Amino acid sequence: MSSLNIRKVVIDDDKARNLSFTKRILSRLASEPSYGTGYTGSKETLHLLSHKGEFLKPCPGTREYICCGYQILNVATGCPLNCSYCILQSYFSYSDLAVFVNLEEAIDQVFRLIDGQPHRIFRIGTGEFTDSLALDPLVFWTDLLLSRFSKTKNAVLELKTKTINIGGLLSSQQRDRIIVSWSLNSPFIASREEHKAPSIRKRLEAARECQREGFVLSFHFDPILVHPNWRDEYRKTLEMMDQYIDPKGIIWISLGSFRFMPDLKNIIRRFHPKSSVLDGEFIVGLDGKCRYFRPIRVELYSYIRELLEAWSDDISLYLCMESDDVWRESMGWSPRNNQGLSDYLDSRVVEVFG
Amino acid sequence: MKMLNLAEIPIQSVDFRHIHTEPGPFCMSFGFELQSLIFSIENVGLINPPLIVEKRPGEMDIVAGYRRIKALIQLKTTSIPCKILSHSEFSPFDCLLVNFYDNLVSREFNDVEKGMLLNRLQEHISKTMILEQFMPLLGLPCHRPTLDLFMRVENELNAEIKEYLAHGGLSLKTARLLLEVEEDSRSTVFHLISSLKLTMNQQLQLVDYLIDISHTTGKPIPLLLDDIQLNRIIAEGDTNKPQTAKAVFELLRHTRYPRLSNAEKDFKRVISRMRLPKGVHVKAPPFFETPQYRLEVMFKEGCELKDKLYRLSRNQELDNLGDPWKKNH
Repeated sequence: MSSLNIRKVVIDDDKARNLSFTKRILSRLASEPSYGTGYTGSKETLHLLSHKGEFLKPCPGTREYICCGYQILNVATGCPLNCSYCILQSYFSYSDLAVFVNLEEAIDQVFRLIDGQPHRIFRIGTGEFTDSLALDPLVFWTDLLLSRFSKTKNAVLELKTKTINIGGLLSSQQRDRIIVSWSLNSPFIASREEHKAPSIRKRLEAARECQREGFVLSFHFDPILVHPNWRDEYRKTLEMMDQYIDPKGIIWISLGSFRFMPDLKNIIRRFHPKSSVLDGEFIVGLDGKCRYFRPIRVELYSYIRELLEAWSDDISLYLCMESDDVWRESMGWSPRNNQGLSDYLDSRVVEVFG
Repeated sequence: MKMLNLAEIPIQSVDFRHIHTEPGPFCMSFGFELQSLIFSIENVGLINPPLIVEKRPGEMDIVAGYRRIKALIQLKTTSIPCKILSHSEFSPFDCLLVNFYDNLVSREFNDVEKGMLLNRLQEHISKTMILEQFMPLLGLPCHRPTLDLFMRVENELNAEIKEYLAHGGLSLKTARLLLEVEEDSRSTVFHLISSLKLTMNQQLQLVDYLIDISHTTGKPIPLLLDDIQLNRIIAEGDTNKPQTAKAVFELLRHTRYPRLSNAEKDFKRVISRMRLPKGVHVKAPPFFETPQYRLEVMFKEGCELKDKLYRLSRNQELDNLGDPWKKNH
């Protein structure tokens, strides 16, 4: 839990102050924080507040590229890790961490929505606006969510992380409908750009432990980045995966090349001047986001796909936010549209969890 | 803020030598021209006396009327009619607010002046208060990075660049990007911008290319700009400014985006080999992001269209059209 060091707590509303969820978080803080108001722009400040909107929302994909139809359970915003390429830097004005403490009382509503559509499969994740497990030693989301999702037959919960905070997972008895997922990159990128995140080896060690304990795994190579010797570097990660992970226990692996709103460029330049993530040939894509020139993306995906397929011939691979053409050129097939990709992943859920 | 009774303060003549004429702690004037004010004073005299506050006995800071005092001094006025605020009644924060509101009602602040005000406010109140109370008054969003940007513009850019920005010769977006350029290189970049007389978009693009190329090559920007080929383009005698700028951009773009530039060149080469009929154009999608090319045919009558389509259908070079980076094309 080295990345987590809370020095200041801000309780943003009276309702939040009185919730038992808040009190439990406060009781778990390693040292007495100072209390205050307002945003500090520091990852050492934790806001405890009530979420005003819907907790469950569809991933904000764009029309121009194929989206997997993921649902986001918005449990928190901000991340204590400090990845240079993190898009949250341009999403939020402040880098403060914020946990929505009314989740416990709102969760019934989320499950009513899921139960109300029994023929639909909900693939839900908490790792869009935060790391799913970075704050778990403090917040104990695993305590709250695992038992609920395990009992729900038309949903899976994917906990996406770069950390090794698996204590909450391992102490739970629940395995069904839970996918533990790691964001992976090359060791070069992990060491130079993913500040405060554990090494790839440590992540895979934690993944192995979860796999041994009966959890279904997934991996996300996202963002894939062009960097010196990128082929050799990504191969090193694949070699480590081979060393630690049984591919049979992986539900899916996604690939996504680095893409970002143009605003992020100045933020990276300012706060991560040594970062090399902006060095590639980026063009403005159909959705207004910067992304690598198309043949470069095809090259990246094709290469990693070849490595993964050489490792196992039974891996469900998919591309995150890519066009039909890039799918065909790099994967050899295409789901054609959002529904096609959604169906493909849903069928994987049925295959793995029944 | 408490109500200040300024109207009842008597006007006194103050020897100009007792007034600090450098921009002091309450000043928020930058990049202004004095001539029209001088002209006004010459014709009708001073309409509103400046406000000053005694810093130490015999030493005055200007609270409001910095330009008026500058104009009076240029008109060789030695004794300046002023209202002297008592520092026991007017705190430095009061004085700052007096100047701010005095300016706010009469003119618009330029971007450097906004930065001056925000920096001075920060000496008295928290950033949260600045964001909530003062950013809207300046027409700015209550957004922390915007506040930081304006403060940096005033603190970190040199006077020459600030002057260009205050006069609208430089966009705020370019100024923001210049802040990411190492201080030693900023003037070099700025001089290139001003010498090429670039448009706002070109300025931004130029700085963006230079930062990126400097980062990827590891060469400091002045060294990049010393590049022989670039110097040859700039020194070229028989081209005008826009032509020079275009050539500079082509060179930088090719350096920054070699694969994309080569693809574009290859595509143009394929098209030129096709000898398309007059009024027929084949266009690539922006950045080749989609694989759909566009055919444009200009014609007056159906038979002309038919003729052009017939000639196109027999054009064997069309078989070579496709994504230019693919070997079979």
